[in-house]
Amino acid sequence: MQDRSLINDLPRLALLSLAAFVVLAPYIWMVAVSVKPQDEVFKASLSLIPQKWALIENYGKVLKTIPIWTYIVNGLIVCFGILFFQILFAVPAAYALAKLNFRGRELIFGFVMLGLLVPYQTTALPLYLGIHQLGLLNSYTALIAPFTCSVFAIFLFRQFFRAIPDDLINAARIDGMGEFSIVWRVIVPNALPAATAFAIFSVVAHWNDLFWPLIVIQKGNLYTPAMGILAFRSVEAGEDYGALMAAALLVTAPLVLAFLFAQRRFIEGITMTGLKG
Amino acid sequence: MSGIVIEGVQKSFGVTTVLRGVSLAVAQGEFLSLVGPSGCGKTTLLRIIAGLEAVSAGAVRIAGRDVTALRAADRDVAMVFQNYALYPHLTVRQNIAVPLVMRRLKAAERIPVVGGLLPGVAAKRREISTDVVAAAQMLGVGALLERKPAQLSGGQRQRVALGRAIVRHPRAFLMDEPLSNLDAALRVTTRSEIVALHRRVGASTVYVTHDQSEAMTMSDRVAVMMDGLILQVGTPEEIYTNPQDIRVAAFIGSPSINTLAAEIGADGDVMVGGIASGLGASVRGPTTLAIRPENIMLADTGIAARIEHLEYLGESLLLHARVLASHELVICRLSPERRRQVARGETIHLRPDPSRAFLFDSEGRRLAAHARTRELAHG
Amino acid sequence: MSGTRSLGGRRMRSDAGIAWLLTLPAILAYLAMILLPLLAVLALAFTDYEFGARGFRWIGLANFADMLSDRTFAASIRNTVVYCLFVAPLSIGIALALAVLIEAGARGRAFYRAVFFLPVVSLTVAMATAWQYLLHPSIGPVNALLRMVGAGTPNWLGSSDWVIVSLGFIGVWENVGFNLVLFLAGLTAIPRELYAASEIDGARSGWSKFWLVTWPMLGPTMLFVIIITMTRSIRVFDTVQTLTQGGPNNASEVLLRTIYQEGFHYFKFGYSAAITLVFLVIVLGLMLVQTRLIDRRVHYG
Repeated sequence: MQDRSLINDLPRLALLSLAAFVVLAPYIWMVAVSVKPQDEVFKASLSLIPQKWALIENYGKVLKTIPIWTYIVNGLIVCFGILFFQILFAVPAAYALAKLNFRGRELIFGFVMLGLLVPYQTTALPLYLGIHQLGLLNSYTALIAPFTCSVFAIFLFRQFFRAIPDDLINAARIDGMGEFSIVWRVIVPNALPAATAFAIFSVVAHWNDLFWPLIVIQKGNLYTPAMGILAFRSVEAGEDYGALMAAALLVTAPLVLAFLFAQRRFIEGITMTGLKG
Repeated sequence: MSGIVIEGVQKSFGVTTVLRGVSLAVAQGEFLSLVGPSGCGKTTLLRIIAGLEAVSAGAVRIAGRDVTALRAADRDVAMVFQNYALYPHLTVRQNIAVPLVMRRLKAAERIPVVGGLLPGVAAKRREISTDVVAAAQMLGVGALLERKPAQLSGGQRQRVALGRAIVRHPRAFLMDEPLSNLDAALRVTTRSEIVALHRRVGASTVYVTHDQSEAMTMSDRVAVMMDGLILQVGTPEEIYTNPQDIRVAAFIGSPSINTLAAEIGADGDVMVGGIASGLGASVRGPTTLAIRPENIMLADTGIAARIEHLEYLGESLLLHARVLASHELVICRLSPERRRQVARGETIHLRPDPSRAFLFDSEGRRLAAHARTRELAHG
Repeated sequence: MSGTRSLGGRRMRSDAGIAWLLTLPAILAYLAMILLPLLAVLALAFTDYEFGARGFRWIGLANFADMLSDRTFAASIRNTVVYCLFVAPLSIGIALALAVLIEAGARGRAFYRAVFFLPVVSLTVAMATAWQYLLHPSIGPVNALLRMVGAGTPNWLGSSDWVIVSLGFIGVWENVGFNLVLFLAGLTAIPRELYAASEIDGARSGWSKFWLVTWPMLGPTMLFVIIITMTRSIRVFDTVQTLTQGGPNNASEVLLRTIYQEGFHYFKFGYSAAITLVFLVIVLGLMLVQTRLIDRRVHYG
């Protein structure tokens, strides 16, 4: 199959390129419209290159109207805050479940499996009540705390740790390490592929999440990128497409660029963790 | 200082009993092999000495100190694992340094960068580095210090694993089939290197293997284990020439010892297939006569057997013959010149050397026996 | 480590102790963030609790009875089902076709894979906004193109006839890349010798090889992808909330949005919890089928 000539390969490439064009269409127009002045946008032409560039007006308007950098920084704080606690809690638990024998291990693992079946949206109402009771609405805590226990991370790391040879852990014990040292000095460095995969999965999921931030955040200075776009739409009544596309592009860019730099890792990460969707 | 002492150790996993009361003393500086078929409990015993497994009953003492309740890290033992168990994310230098870093540096001192700023840490680190280089050079891996385990050959990994074990001069040295992942040629050369290393380091060593030839060639003493018990402990020569249990006799030696059903007659003669074997015993009843291949001679009279197969090994000739009366298979080791005097299908007469034959009762225990002078005259 | 410590069975006990210590943070977080809230939802569903109210009454199955006569809920269930039945087959079929096309040659593999995967990592709210422009009835390029070829120009997101189709189309766009990558993994796992064998057995065209080898060998992947896509699409929320808010006239109301609306807009927590339970039961049903299938997959290997 490798030696097929370019001519013979053309129908295949043509079909794939057509599909690729449909997939890329929103990105293409997002970029094009973000540099078009409003009157050109309303001409409804198919042309992509603006006659008059409106790059500065559109992006300037975004930066002037909404604190988009604040949203992006909020997004980063929330994503990495969540990731930090998820790893901190999941790794030791997964190690114990994978490599230590103790009473109750099966029970805990059973609960982990149960947790895997429950979409987080299910628990939104009581969590909202709890956070409200604690006076923590409109805070980073409200955005981060509900996701600190990732049963999926525990499950994934457990599977990965089980593949680490017992004798490596025994060697570490004989070399004088305690169980905590083993977790952070032996297990974690050897679980980096799994950790990277999970990190990508987690960051993508929470960067893109709208449901939960919409529930617990009302104050503009705590908006996440997804909420920022929604807010900007309502301020602009959704008709200034140039500025709207500029804003959309700015908040989409960080993850998309990261993806383009580390495609393989992203695809592995998200599909490996695809069990949870 | 009294090496390693194991007293009445028992171990069960749930309902399965793996060790049924094992006692053993390894002298200071001694090299002792635990040998036995897989599943005999030898690895479990080693892991109990290491502190990786808790005993169900019994005690373990290392260098006079009761360590039964101590965890592995506190026992001051080193272990070489079958798959080497090197840390894949660390270089050879770091791998060998781990046991020293964990023991000589306090937790705070181990923190990267920050720990290095604490007083005295730089000096300790320098000391560790010197010891690591010395150990690596002793094992001939001095040039590989910056490599990761994945970039090493099997033999090199083996040496690094040994380096990690010797670097801190442990009180006891434990090895779990360390040669089983090497190819045959390397295995033979590494055997003698480990023995030489043991002489230099001088720590009490327990070496687990299922390969009896490894155990025989390397050890000061050999302990043969089966079914969770030590059947016999002794020098390789004692084990070979004076086995106390038929399972020991059968396990040690290659090809395996021949066993023939025997009956002790009223006059005390040990009869094989109705023919006097030249051995006498004072008990009655059915027994087993065991004789190593090199201790059977061909004679004009004796146990009749048909030659089934001849194996020419260069330094000797192995003759496989089927005893006509009992259909038991017997292997004899003959001098290679005999090759032209025997042929497949021929009937021959076998005569065991009575002074080197062993007699076992129906339970497999060794019975006292003596050569009868009357028969010796024939031989 | 001095090594001269007091002795006496310390090891065995402390092993279990350490295990519990290691799992403790996760256990506490699990209890607080998953288990207790889950039990609370179960309880709430049988109350008339409204957020801010002083108290509540246990009302048994009344919330569930209300659902039967709730036209918004009915629309929500219907739309969610239609959406899933639109998105799942299309995104799976297209993904499979594209995966086979990509796998059939060496050129452009990484490029196409990356392009098709791009929507998976893109911020849904932002991309929905881009789609809104593309599908805009008067200024959008899609309708401009349709005008050029003289076809009709529907109000994609504004008419109740088209809105679910339009959202479904965006859903397909979002999901194809994910499924495609799963199929690619499944395809590369098929041993090359099977294709050689099928050729020797007389399968000449790519088409017959597909039905003889590819399709049956992809079976386990296929079942997995179906369930994954169903559980992903049943959770549609972001595009609906961004583009239509359930409109026009409930024509794009979906389950998660109904839960959100009843709970956090009308603050009818009891009723919202009851709908949550319905949602959970549907997801659990799908997930249980999935775990069964995964078990089977493991046995295959």
